[in-house]
Amino acid sequence: MAEQEPQTSQTLSVLAHYGFSDLGAAAVNYDLALKHLGNDSGQLLEIFGKTGDPDQALDYLLRLVSRYPAEIKQASQSSEQLESLLLVLGASSALGDFLLRDISALKELIDFTTPGSAEDFRDYFEEALNFTSAQSSEELINNLRRAYRSMLLRVTNFDLRQQDPTLGLHLVAKALSDLASVALDYGLKIARWELTKTTDFGTYTAEQVSGTKLAVIGMGKCGAGELNYVSDVDVIFVAENKDASEGLEIETKLATRLMRIMDQASPEPGLWQVDANLRPEGRSGALVRSLDSHINYYQRWAANWEFQALLKATPIAGDFELGNRYQEAIKPMVWESSRRENFVESVQRMRERVTANIVPNELDRQIKLGVGGLRDVEFTVQLLQLVHGRTDETVRAPATLDAIEQLSAGGYIGRAEANDFAKHYRFLRVLEHRIQLSKLRRTHLMPVEESQQRVIARTINTEWSAAELSDSWQQVKQLVRSLHQKIFYRPLLVAVSKSEGGLELSSEQVHDRLLAIGFIDTQGAIRNIEALTSGLSRRAQIQKQLLPVLLEWFGQGMDPDGSLLAFRRLSENLGESPWFLRMLRDSSGAAERLALALSTSKLATAMLEIIPEAASWFESPEKLEQQTLEELLLESDALLSRQENIEDYGKAVRAIRRRETLRIALAELVAGSGYEKSSVGLSVISQWYLSALTNGARKFLQHDGKSVEELVDIGLVAMGRFGGEELGFGSDADLMVVYKPQGTTSGDLAQSLTEQVVSSVRIQATDPLLEFEIDLGLRPEGKNGPIARSLSSYESYYARWGDIWENQALLRARMFFGSNVLKLEFAEIIDKYRYPETLAESAVIEIRRIKARVENERLPFGADPARHLKLGRGSLSDVEWLIQLLQLKHGNNKPAIRTSRTLEALGELVAEGLLQSQDAEVLKESWLLASRIRSAIYLWSGKRTDLLPNDRRQLEAIARLLHYPHGSASALEGDYLGATRRARAVFERVFFA
Amino acid sequence: MDKQRDFVLRTIEERNVRFVRLWFTDVAGTLKSVVIAPAEVEGAFAEGIGFDGSAIEGLARSYEADMLAHPDPATFQILPSRGDSDVTARMFCDITTPDGVPASADPRNVLRRSLAKAASMGFSFYTHPEIEFYLLKSAQFGPEGPIPVDKAGYFDNVPGGTAHDFRMRAVNQLEQLGISVEFSHHEGGPGQNEIDLRYADALTTADNIMTFRTVIKEVAQEQGIYATFMPKPFTEHPGSGMHTHMSLFEGDTNAFFDASGEYHLSKTGRSFIAGLLKHAPEITAVTNQYVNSYKRLWGGGEAPSFVCWGHNNRSALVRVPLYKPNKAQSSRVEYRAIDSAANPYLSYALILAAGLKGIEEGYDLPAETEDNVWNLTDSERRAMGIQPLPTSLDHAIRKLEESELAAETLGEQVFSYVLANKRAEWSDYRSQVTPYELKTNLETL
Repeated sequence: MAEQEPQTSQTLSVLAHYGFSDLGAAAVNYDLALKHLGNDSGQLLEIFGKTGDPDQALDYLLRLVSRYPAEIKQASQSSEQLESLLLVLGASSALGDFLLRDISALKELIDFTTPGSAEDFRDYFEEALNFTSAQSSEELINNLRRAYRSMLLRVTNFDLRQQDPTLGLHLVAKALSDLASVALDYGLKIARWELTKTTDFGTYTAEQVSGTKLAVIGMGKCGAGELNYVSDVDVIFVAENKDASEGLEIETKLATRLMRIMDQASPEPGLWQVDANLRPEGRSGALVRSLDSHINYYQRWAANWEFQALLKATPIAGDFELGNRYQEAIKPMVWESSRRENFVESVQRMRERVTANIVPNELDRQIKLGVGGLRDVEFTVQLLQLVHGRTDETVRAPATLDAIEQLSAGGYIGRAEANDFAKHYRFLRVLEHRIQLSKLRRTHLMPVEESQQRVIARTINTEWSAAELSDSWQQVKQLVRSLHQKIFYRPLLVAVSKSEGGLELSSEQVHDRLLAIGFIDTQGAIRNIEALTSGLSRRAQIQKQLLPVLLEWFGQGMDPDGSLLAFRRLSENLGESPWFLRMLRDSSGAAERLALALSTSKLATAMLEIIPEAASWFESPEKLEQQTLEELLLESDALLSRQENIEDYGKAVRAIRRRETLRIALAELVAGSGYEKSSVGLSVISQWYLSALTNGARKFLQHDGKSVEELVDIGLVAMGRFGGEELGFGSDADLMVVYKPQGTTSGDLAQSLTEQVVSSVRIQATDPLLEFEIDLGLRPEGKNGPIARSLSSYESYYARWGDIWENQALLRARMFFGSNVLKLEFAEIIDKYRYPETLAESAVIEIRRIKARVENERLPFGADPARHLKLGRGSLSDVEWLIQLLQLKHGNNKPAIRTSRTLEALGELVAEGLLQSQDAEVLKESWLLASRIRSAIYLWSGKRTDLLPNDRRQLEAIARLLHYPHGSASALEGDYLGATRRARAVFERVFFA
Repeated sequence: MDKQRDFVLRTIEERNVRFVRLWFTDVAGTLKSVVIAPAEVEGAFAEGIGFDGSAIEGLARSYEADMLAHPDPATFQILPSRGDSDVTARMFCDITTPDGVPASADPRNVLRRSLAKAASMGFSFYTHPEIEFYLLKSAQFGPEGPIPVDKAGYFDNVPGGTAHDFRMRAVNQLEQLGISVEFSHHEGGPGQNEIDLRYADALTTADNIMTFRTVIKEVAQEQGIYATFMPKPFTEHPGSGMHTHMSLFEGDTNAFFDASGEYHLSKTGRSFIAGLLKHAPEITAVTNQYVNSYKRLWGGGEAPSFVCWGHNNRSALVRVPLYKPNKAQSSRVEYRAIDSAANPYLSYALILAAGLKGIEEGYDLPAETEDNVWNLTDSERRAMGIQPLPTSLDHAIRKLEESELAAETLGEQVFSYVLANKRAEWSDYRSQVTPYELKTNLETL
């Protein structure tokens, strides 16, 4: 049996209703509290129900009662004061602890109509710190801190008593800044007292000490009057001393002491760190400088970011007359400097600071950093101030909320956006305040425990659960993120398209913003934006919505100008296609994929211009699946049965090839399919392309009423990389043609018909829009030989004249078109030569000699062999020749190594013990990297080249296509040079062995 | 950094500096200088100073000729004044491409990368070189070779001698440049000198070596004599080495020290030495980069021709100097192959990489060699597993070609440049008909 529960006045469910969670304990404790206070029970419960953490409030209340029964009893006579007390105890254990230390502060909970002004705080400190009767500096320091915390109770009380805390946020932030400033001012007084009354820090006369002038300048949030509950207070010290011979010794002592007075260990804990690291020369510069020295420094030495830090500088303590002179002298320089400096760079630095220093596993708990955090709001505001404040003095307010207001009044942010932005900022700040208030710790992290999140939620709105808080917060994050685009990018469109929307940026302002994004030709960008957004069409309306984010994506790519132009062309091509508009409107993933493709590939951009409908594939990744050879043939066969002549048929087939090439390109660009998948796909397309065109040529070429098929069996043999199914983007197709006359067809007729077919295929295959090159150079006798030969002609040629390099080329021969009989017979012939029973030593020497000669002669003039992707040291041809030499030598005994595919051959050679596995790894790495780079160059630039680019921008673009992180141009170059160097070493050892 | 920059700009004002020399080093280890006016210094800090890199050996490929030199404010020094000439200062530079990427062929950048690697393992690398060089009457030489300034031997004190004056002046100038000189004495050969630079981090040391060579050459010229860092100018006298003491620190702790270890050497120290030994042959083409370097390495005496280590073995490649009681911080090892003509940036980068490799892979340290290895027979050495260092530049090149460690440390571009450059030197050398051949062959054949 469970122990009998003691009888309590409230049922557990009532307690749960008022927000208690540890119900058993609460029931007992509540009665204890009730008994002591003697309040009306219903009213007391109501009050607890308003607190963030009723359990904590009750717990602290009982501890206070047991220590200070009379004081608490008296306070509870006023239900207002009792409510204030419980609200504080329910929100902040740190302030509860303070009350346990110093119950006299209880009286500060009376007034909750204002958070208190600087004068109020000053009066309070004046009374709390009695300098004439003080016995020790420790006594003064403790009194200072108690005074600070007493006033903090007052601010907190105001904050917690608000119906909607976001509305009074700026008042709270201002009060916290004032309170910190007053505390610093009195801290400085204590420091002066110490130097005058004691000799602990040096012996100075009262005249000496009082003759010094020291001003404390607040930087950062404190300077801007928007401090949060707990934060480092950033300051700079300015001094003036008539007696120059003294140097600034006393002033420096004062400043040093001030910093310690605020945070050194003492019975009443320290307040916060005073951080003076924003001073000239930073951590290692003099702590205190004269006004002249400050001016001199900023005139001559300061870096750009130091001026940015000065944006918020305000005198906050010490000698205000001196502080004001400092501010007057420095302020003009701040904006002058930003006019001088390259501000695009400053913007980029700012952007980096926004994304830097985030601990990844804290990312989703960060109120301040990360996507949609406070820093995002501040970044947007400061970015706009930086861009427009250079020429407009009215938008330079230091505080974020004031700046939003000014930017809105100045016409840089729309009224509605400004209101939203301010609202979200207030929400995030209140969230941050509540989290900091709990333990008075400097933190910007949402607690992990749901129970703690619930408390935070309730301190903002007692109706909220942890989940509701979390939802609201997530929503705000999203909105903040999109508002950045709305605020920074959207006005560009409004200005450019001169549409209604209230906000009008001047052309200079538009130019500044576009430069900051990364556009070089801002006039061109304006024309493109204009074209995309003008008019009243649905398309223009939707594009107006979408362009802000598109501009941001393009800005992160390699070529914002080109990408925007390409998007404009695409959009004009597609006109009012409903699916295009729908895709842009509904599917932001699709739009992002489109932006990615446009900014990483000129090939894809060019193809999209020809085949705008392909933009629909961005909507769903399954549309980027490669078509099989069978599917393609079905499509071309259907075409063939409909078309009347070869021209129309050829045109349709070319269009299919472009479409399918684009599909594979997009799959690689936006769906992450790798090089190996693309290269198989591209080989399939080429194979289908040549087959389909051959079918067409045969159909429209008749002889005496007989079809070509009846007269001659034509075979197409893929050679080289095509034979290995290893084509990249922009590879040409190596080909040989073989035929066998059928029935009684004469040799001459068969030859003539085949040549006509080949000639037709070559004509139809030529495509100015997406180049395709058939290379017949590997056929017997090379360029001098006939373009097609009969089976028997091949046989006799190889038997009598075949050079060893021709035999070698046959290793990659793969017939993909022609009857099965022809395939078998052709294979039988060539196998004798490509897999000879023995390879004569003289043949091996000949191969090595040819290879050595090719290396020298084929390389284009002046090309760096280390950077040639095909013929360079350790690149494609080294790897392929090595494999082919081994296949020639051993293919006869080891049928397993008979393959036209490079990587497969490497694997089989290792399996057969003909190549060491680590050597094969080295060769594979180099071959794959060279292949991927070659393909990526074409994908990026739409141009064929076999040289690794030297230009850093090109390298960067290729590196991104190869999934390197941003800024990897040198890394890619190093990887390539290293991989090929190692491959060359293997090659030299094995090939020339 | 900003503070140092400010210090530089202020000093230029205060000291009325008229010219600033920007120094950097090519791959071969030759000091290059660009002179700018003080007004340009601020811009040089912000954006660098453009120059034509293709004019500098190995620095740039012809197509990326535009390079930027970024002065390192931490290296700012006023150069010692010469009479009433204008006040001149110098800074070492880091080289970048126009888009701000460190030039892969900047030797300083190579060393920085190695140091960054060490830092990622928690180490900082300190070195202390003992630089030997000869003072000659002039750069001219007759059939008997060059003529030394005096005939003094080891530790001789020649009061009022040229060498004495020279040393006073050189030490004085170096100290004005902020380079502390630990000790200086006269080495074994006539006219040979040795000056030890004090312990410093390897980048500072390498900068100091470059400065040191310039100062020594200039002081010699001033005094009407000639100083040479050629590894082996005399057949019959010892060569000029640059034995380098080195240690790794983990924060303030010497990572080589272990009170309980043999010779007070820690596990880290032992693995570091093992790394040096294992990779020594493949880095020799850099630490001993000239044809002439091998005349020193194989010239007998105390030259470290064989890959071995010892405690007090003055012929070993790596020596662990006597531990001084209660001086945990001074635990160190001495690498003795490197010569005075080496590129200090590349050499220290490779030596550090070799040692770190030993630590990373936990190489075992082979047994210590106590004998003078020169006195052993080939078979004895083989039995003891003692390998020779490369016997010629050609041999060293072939070792370097196979070195993944060197390629990785130098970067692909410096690596291929060094190889190409050294192959060309070897091929030039080989095509000579030497006086030796004429002397021994002509009359008999």
